[in-house]
Amino acid sequence: MLRLIDAGHRLSRWLVWLGGALILGSAVLVTIEVFVRKLFNMSIAGADEISGYAFGVATSLGLAFALFERAHIRVDALFLILPRPLRIFLNFFGLALLVGFAGIVTWMAWGLVADTLEHGSRSITPMRTPLAIPQIPWLAGWMFFVLCGVLLFVGSLFATLTGNAAEGERRIGVKTLEEQIHDEIA
Amino acid sequence: MLTKTLLILLGLIALAVPVAAVLGWLGLTMQYLESPMPLHRALGDMVWQTGTDFLLVAIPMFILLGEILLRSGIAAKMYEGIVTWLGWLPGGLMHANTGSCALFAATSGSSVATAATIGTVAIPEIEKRGYNERIFLGTIAAGGTLGILIPPSINLILFGLLTDTSVPELYLAGFLPGFLLAALFMITVVILCIAKPSWGGESVNASWSDRIAALPSLLPPIGIFLVVVGSIYAGVATPTEAAALGVIAALVLAAANRSLSLEMIRAAVEGTMRTTSMIMLIILAAVFLNFVLSVIGLTQALADFVTGLGLSPMQTMLMLIAVLIVVGCFMETLSMLLTVAPLVTPIVISLGFDPVWFGILLMVLLETALITPPIGINLYVVQGVREKGELSDVMVGAAPFVITMFAMIALLLIFPDLALWLPSLFY
Repeated sequence: MLRLIDAGHRLSRWLVWLGGALILGSAVLVTIEVFVRKLFNMSIAGADEISGYAFGVATSLGLAFALFERAHIRVDALFLILPRPLRIFLNFFGLALLVGFAGIVTWMAWGLVADTLEHGSRSITPMRTPLAIPQIPWLAGWMFFVLCGVLLFVGSLFATLTGNAAEGERRIGVKTLEEQIHDEIA
Repeated sequence: MLTKTLLILLGLIALAVPVAAVLGWLGLTMQYLESPMPLHRALGDMVWQTGTDFLLVAIPMFILLGEILLRSGIAAKMYEGIVTWLGWLPGGLMHANTGSCALFAATSGSSVATAATIGTVAIPEIEKRGYNERIFLGTIAAGGTLGILIPPSINLILFGLLTDTSVPELYLAGFLPGFLLAALFMITVVILCIAKPSWGGESVNASWSDRIAALPSLLPPIGIFLVVVGSIYAGVATPTEAAALGVIAALVLAAANRSLSLEMIRAAVEGTMRTTSMIMLIILAAVFLNFVLSVIGLTQALADFVTGLGLSPMQTMLMLIAVLIVVGCFMETLSMLLTVAPLVTPIVISLGFDPVWFGILLMVLLETALITPPIGINLYVVQGVREKGELSDVMVGAAPFVITMFAMIALLLIFPDLALWLPSLFY
């Protein structure tokens, strides 16, 4: 089970590199657009639209990675002074609410994409992009996020119940300060 | 309805539920309790529209820009350069701390990154040069907060998004208060060091040739600042486009600095996407909550409640500031911004205040929140970089700068033009 979670973590890192490539690509595209517009006074329309899609897809692809890295912010003012059993419970409670909310969003996103496919919707811009192209990977990112969340919940619960509560805390607990700083400057 | 919302909000936050889930479930619960319509059906469309909004593309761009500068070693070189220029003042390197934070802030939007970067370079100097440790740490914690006020600030983009305020206008409004606040921090240090000369440590007297020689290390951040901010006001680029130009410029500089590598890009990209996805999930939840709260009339109810108190606009503003200072002691800044801005800004506008001005005031309040105990992330970051001693040292050291921030808030109240004059020239 934990091995499956580690595999998910590795996959999520690959998705983040993919998302990062989309963002870097958008930066290049938008820069070209600005130069062409200024220098040749003409517009290669659509850079804004495409980078918007790239951004949406990159964000949804990064959600699972942020989850594995415990980057989703929690306010731990009270949490840190609570007794450990309660903290362990709250880790699961928080994760369940996070994944639950993501599940509802994903369900609604599913509906949106189903509509898009059914009507063959296109964007209301000069590009008339078939919306299915950016929406399908976007939805996939959300689904992967929910799947990883469920996996993480079950795996950590299993570890906790079989006497390895520290393993559970390492995976879904609040980040220690050293870990946060390491993230920022390493 | 007001009490219910507040209780759920505070309860879930206190239980350390991830902030995005707090806002999302608060929206879903209030809809369930108060709205006859299934508002959650709009979630899919809302998440798609907001999640692909071109304005918000600026968020990953600015984070990436900061990450690249951080990992290319440009920031550390910049600190050494600033020391030669500001080190002679009473208080020595402490001015370099503030100055580097301000300059680094002018290229990136993250307060934590600013405090961590400058802290890593500066803290070893405390013992070498005999500074008062507490005040020295305080300058880093406080200086790090400048990132959210001095443009390009991600927080100002979020404020603009949630309150329908123009981001370029907010950026212009942030300039004077941002640099004024940096100057006030330095004046605070000078006053403290004149009162207690032993706190000041050794000054650094660099010769003019040293200073000239240090200039190249200052050029990269200044250059990026000019590319990003200049392109916005020259009318060449929107804030998002300017951010993209900044990313490309940072890559070019990193290459010139011979620190561009696949490894570095990968690390920068991981950091960027982790932060971006985290922020976006909160934003998406906040946008949904905002929608629910306005449909069920809570925003209106809150406004009625405040008007019902019968206070003058200025009294209301003072009360609001007091509440936000207290909230800031306990809440993390991003969550505070995303919950407070949409709820409070309509009230503030109805009282006759300018939304752009309020945006700037709110940023200063958020800066205060970053260094007020018990929850002030910059205090923890500085303590974490220091790796020894007590957290209370940093808290005590940051206290004078909290007072400086209060002075800044007072200045903004008395002279609203500090924020509004520059935008008035352009708009």
